[in-house]
Amino acid sequence: MANFDPRTKLTFLVTAVGAVLVTRRPETLAVQSLLLLGAIILLKDDRRPGHLRRLFLPMTALVFMTGLVFFDLQTALRLASRLFNLLAVSFVCFKTIDPDEMAGALQKLGIPFSLVFILSAGLRYVPLIGRKIHNIVDAQQARGIDLRPRIRNIPHFAALLTPLVVQAFVLSDDLALAMESRGFGCENRSSRRTYLLRPIDYILIGASLGGLCLLAWWERG
Amino acid sequence: MAALIELNRVSYRYAGAARILKEIDLTIPPGESTAVFGASGSGKSTLACLFNGLIPHFFGGLLEGTVIVAGSPTRNTMVSELFSQVGLVLQNTDAQLFNATVEDDVAFGLESLGYPAIEIRKRTHRISETLGISHLLHRSPETLSGGEKRLAAIATVLCLDPALLILDEPFAGLDHRGTRVVRDVLRQIQRQGRNLVLIEHRTKPFFAEADRCIIIDEGAICFDGKPAEASGVLLDLHLMPRYPERTARRRSRSGESILVVKDLSCRIEGRDILSDISLSLAHGEAVAIVGENGVGKTTLIKHFNGLLQPTTGEVSFKGRCIRNLHPSARAVAVGVCFQNPNDQFFEVDVRKEILAGPKRLGKIDWKWFEQICDTLSLRLLLDRSPYRLSEGEKRRVALASILVMRPEVLVLDEPTAGQDGRFKETLAHMCATISEMGTAVVVVTHDLDFARTTTDRWVVMHAGRIVSDGTPDKMREKLLSFREDATYRPP
Repeated sequence: MANFDPRTKLTFLVTAVGAVLVTRRPETLAVQSLLLLGAIILLKDDRRPGHLRRLFLPMTALVFMTGLVFFDLQTALRLASRLFNLLAVSFVCFKTIDPDEMAGALQKLGIPFSLVFILSAGLRYVPLIGRKIHNIVDAQQARGIDLRPRIRNIPHFAALLTPLVVQAFVLSDDLALAMESRGFGCENRSSRRTYLLRPIDYILIGASLGGLCLLAWWERG
Repeated sequence: MAALIELNRVSYRYAGAARILKEIDLTIPPGESTAVFGASGSGKSTLACLFNGLIPHFFGGLLEGTVIVAGSPTRNTMVSELFSQVGLVLQNTDAQLFNATVEDDVAFGLESLGYPAIEIRKRTHRISETLGISHLLHRSPETLSGGEKRLAAIATVLCLDPALLILDEPFAGLDHRGTRVVRDVLRQIQRQGRNLVLIEHRTKPFFAEADRCIIIDEGAICFDGKPAEASGVLLDLHLMPRYPERTARRRSRSGESILVVKDLSCRIEGRDILSDISLSLAHGEAVAIVGENGVGKTTLIKHFNGLLQPTTGEVSFKGRCIRNLHPSARAVAVGVCFQNPNDQFFEVDVRKEILAGPKRLGKIDWKWFEQICDTLSLRLLLDRSPYRLSEGEKRRVALASILVMRPEVLVLDEPTAGQDGRFKETLAHMCATISEMGTAVVVVTHDLDFARTTTDRWVVMHAGRIVSDGTPDKMREKLLSFREDATYRPP
């Protein structure tokens, strides 16, 4: 995957999402799950063992239990495996496409730069907001305001949300200043990235789209 | 030779606010490096925004007088036309570095100007080599140290080859090594004949090398001349703090330790952050924890009040493990005031903000509250929103909100960072008062002058360990020996 044009990777991953969404047969979902599990095992980050388990299992388990309670076992399995497959495709997406590749691919596909920037800035600042949350929790705990995840601490969460929202607004102000100071919004903007679609890229794009159409027809049958 | 910047009778007010700049006349010739000092809220950063057209085009407000940059009046010239000639490096590097990688950030301005890809790559790599950050190009800004972020931020505007480079507090938050690295880079830029305007609270790092010093007080220029002649004005305005002579404090009569750290080690995500840390604090003792960024100082103080659990070892307060206490009890035992006061504010006014902690405990000592407000000069601010205060005022409110809990140990994390001399003097006085009352004070700081004034004992940390523990004079030499070992050398 590493050597493909980012547009090819993006197309492949979008068709993978489409494939999960059009699938209804349990056996097809199971095959998808196995393939995606294999991809996860190949791509996962060993420095953070258990991270994926903590991320995937609770949500999948919740959906399964909800399906079991309100519908039946078959529906619960189908919903849970579809969710797992979507999460797995997202994981593969973020592992195989860098944010700047994603931005470049979207720009090349004709998406306006201002919209592409929203995506890349969002990805840039998610870890920063995570860091800010940690800092706020520490600062408030140091004053005796308990923000541990307990039911009884729910009324205290204004002490987390208020400074977080305010700092997010302040950051957005500074960000706007920085962007304006470096010519964001200038017309005729160029790009340092140059991408070229090779024959292998066209083959993979064609195969992805063709595969999706075939699967949709198969599932209809 | 024509001036690069000309300000003629310039006054400015932000929308709905009072005048922040008053009748400024200023001419900056090409090739000059200028240091601009002033208290928080004096108008320094506003002055910087005049130079690249952010005022009036981005901020609006009311601008009177004329601002001419490289022959163009900024009133008629948009920021998009000026930014290639006037580069602004913000204090907030997280905002300045808004792309996914350093390379994207450096290239951004060149892309805005429509340069072809090959030229962008050439310039990006050339400027990265000049600043010694080639190895950082593919990194996310989130993974960089403070000094690395500052260099990357400078690169984002330097690649545009501007005639004027403005840096807003370039040394904020940097340790000695980071300060030296950035200062060396600025010297390099200065030698190239480029105009530099440095806006700072810290007078030491670049003061002697600037060609000119401007001091702003309440929106007006009160000094404009050679740096060597500015010291008196800086002291009079308390921009350089006047610290009192330190008299050694008595330890508690019994010598009993109130906080004991024993064989503490901390491992986070597979990395050893702290190793074999042992120290103790007595009533009324004043201790500084010093060391370069990344040695584990903040991680250590987070163990003092139980925010972090040691991997091995123990932290005990009056004989009891600190982690066994309820969070509100820990806040009464050990109060920690972290670096960013904005992390705390969530109430509508200062009074409620300070009393948030005691209210949750169910007991408010009004007499103590009044005493804190007097000591920290907060009376006039009690009905104001904490978000609308100056940075120095915010810091005092944050400190008050910790002190009101009457902690027996008070920990201050970089309390003087980004603060002017007047605040440092107030804080030094307050530390002395609290220490006299029997509270143990721990200050984590890079500001050795402040540490010398407020503490009797320095704990020097390096690579997650305590390497020395003793009087300031002896520890200063030890600390300097670690600084001289710094391996970074600009190309």
